[in-house]
Amino acid sequence: MKKTLLHLSEDTLQALTEQEQQLLQEFFADFRIHCLLNKKEKKRLWEDFERAILYYLDGGLSLGEALQRLDVKQLGGFYARPPVLWFPLDDAAKIYPLSMGHDKMTMFRLSVTLKKAVVPELLQMALNFTIKRFPSFATTLKKGVFWHYLDTNKRRFSVHRESGIPCQPLKVSASGSQSFRVVYWENRISVEFFHVLTDGAGGMTFLKVLTAEYLRLTGVSAVPGETLWDCNATPASEEFENTFTRVPRSDSASGFVDKIAVQMNGKLSANKPCRVLHFKMSAAQLKAAAARCGTTVTVYLLAQLFLAIRAATDELQGEISIQVPVNMRKFYPSRTVRNFSMYCGIRLPVKEIEEAKSLIAPILNQLEQKASKESMSRMLTATVRLVGMLRCIPLVIKQPVAKLVYGFLGDKIFTMTFSNLGVVQLPEALAGEIDGMDFLLGAGSTNRVSCSMVTINDSACLSMTKMTVDPSFEEKLYSLLQADGIAVEAEGSELYED
Amino acid sequence: MKIKITYPPVGKKRIQRKKLLNILRWPFLLAAVLCPVINLTVGGKAWSVIVLMGLYMVWKLGLSTDLVEYNRTSQTAKTIITVCLLLFLIDFFLSGGWAVEVIPVVGFCGLVVAGVLFFTDFQRQQQNMLPLLLLILLALAGAVVGLTVWNERAHWPFLIMGGFALALLIACIATMGGGFLRMLRRRFHIK
Repeated sequence: MKKTLLHLSEDTLQALTEQEQQLLQEFFADFRIHCLLNKKEKKRLWEDFERAILYYLDGGLSLGEALQRLDVKQLGGFYARPPVLWFPLDDAAKIYPLSMGHDKMTMFRLSVTLKKAVVPELLQMALNFTIKRFPSFATTLKKGVFWHYLDTNKRRFSVHRESGIPCQPLKVSASGSQSFRVVYWENRISVEFFHVLTDGAGGMTFLKVLTAEYLRLTGVSAVPGETLWDCNATPASEEFENTFTRVPRSDSASGFVDKIAVQMNGKLSANKPCRVLHFKMSAAQLKAAAARCGTTVTVYLLAQLFLAIRAATDELQGEISIQVPVNMRKFYPSRTVRNFSMYCGIRLPVKEIEEAKSLIAPILNQLEQKASKESMSRMLTATVRLVGMLRCIPLVIKQPVAKLVYGFLGDKIFTMTFSNLGVVQLPEALAGEIDGMDFLLGAGSTNRVSCSMVTINDSACLSMTKMTVDPSFEEKLYSLLQADGIAVEAEGSELYED
Repeated sequence: MKIKITYPPVGKKRIQRKKLLNILRWPFLLAAVLCPVINLTVGGKAWSVIVLMGLYMVWKLGLSTDLVEYNRTSQTAKTIITVCLLLFLIDFFLSGGWAVEVIPVVGFCGLVVAGVLFFTDFQRQQQNMLPLLLLILLALAGAVVGLTVWNERAHWPFLIMGGFALALLIACIATMGGGFLRMLRRRFHIK
């Protein structure tokens, strides 16, 4: 018995009854037929089970209950079958590997803050059980002759204690490397994604399932439904489709090129990001403030962001432009967890930015026009056409050209990005265990700040990824929100500058 | 504005490594500009071409490594191809005549090393087949060109290189079976 178990001590085993020891033997015999990974990976997965069992036993849970929660059947056939699937990158994702550099990778991060401290042993098991539901995430980025693609990677995906700067580039070059990372810190579980895998909506689907699975292992169960995928359901092909190719093309196409926008003037930091900040607010207070201005939360916040940017730049001429990603699923319903978003740019001349109320109408007007189904369809058509035109050009030619164009333009046509994921819906049993969520965009190359927001329960979290030490932007934004009667709790990291 | 710190402190090591790459960029660029200028000013053989190729090799293979698919198969294939290219340039610009024998011998040795590295970690490396395939195809093409163009010189280095490349190709196809075709379909997709 001891021979087959790596971490359960003799004392622990002695404490078990003969029947329980038999139960444990059968459990790991079952594990063996569910896991046909190579020796090293199999050992890691085995150890994960043992650590989780040990955690449960130490916590006073009976072995029977522990083994029931960790039922090996929940691994499905994921670890028992060789990798055969592969996924061409979706049309939006194709640019990311072409334009990435050693310290530049388009990343984003989604976090959930629980009411209790995270148990790493259970989080690892939650990931082990969740990954089978998202086959396009269990992949490694590979290079084809014409395009990059995602190749299925059967291994044990690991969770780590958070120790670095958020949204740092992932090492995707090694054989079998992950294109996402799961980290935990105190009460917080975070998943950082390379954008080739998914967009904010897809990432949120993953985080919700991972959190639900983690909470199930802690003893809090919820029934899957509209707001939560069933972790043990068989993945369907439409969940991983490149929806860009399915959408009807628009008659005309609109390009991506625009005028260079005004940038905030703070010196770009050596470390990107040099700080992350979260403004935690009551969703009800935010809604009330927006209602007082006669508009929506997004428009209200855009107006405040324009004012905060104005305070962080010395420029007197030119236009400030905020990039607003648009989830295309609201126009073309899709269950895909791959990228399916476009964006629009809200532009205002610097000299016209004076007070929030006067900005509401032009912002609303632009948002209605530029984020409309027609405009977005035109951009989508342009994307699909561009991909079609480039498809037969070898990667060795495409890559340097894309790098040059992207390096030249980069994010210069925008002053910042503001991505609002909206209100996250979860089954009541789970929502009660969650303190809040946050959404963080990765560092840009020229933009000094990127902003993002997500709301759960009554907790709205506006996050900032900072690329400059200059605090003008956040200080102005903080004072604007406070002045509108919104109580803001500021959280974040230390400065990562030397 | 009081900020509550909710993130762990960060160690310095990673930050310093990034800086090192940024610093190294400048001496490399300086050498890449200065060498051709000195070479053109002083005159003589085009040694600066060899320097440029050497700098490129050190930068691409040692410092600014591949961002996607940096593995033993791809790195071996890349090293062999660039070494052969460097030998050709030395032969062409500095002292001619020997490369016709030397390059196929180096190519053959490289194929042996690449083959050993590939088959000793076959489970994992079969996902990294494309660079090896490119190396094999280049070796085969090189052998055909060599046997055709330099047909009055010794044939044996080209025959050995071409023969081994062909054998390696057959071994890969036989071992991977249907997986070989699936790999080609992935690698050459235009979707």
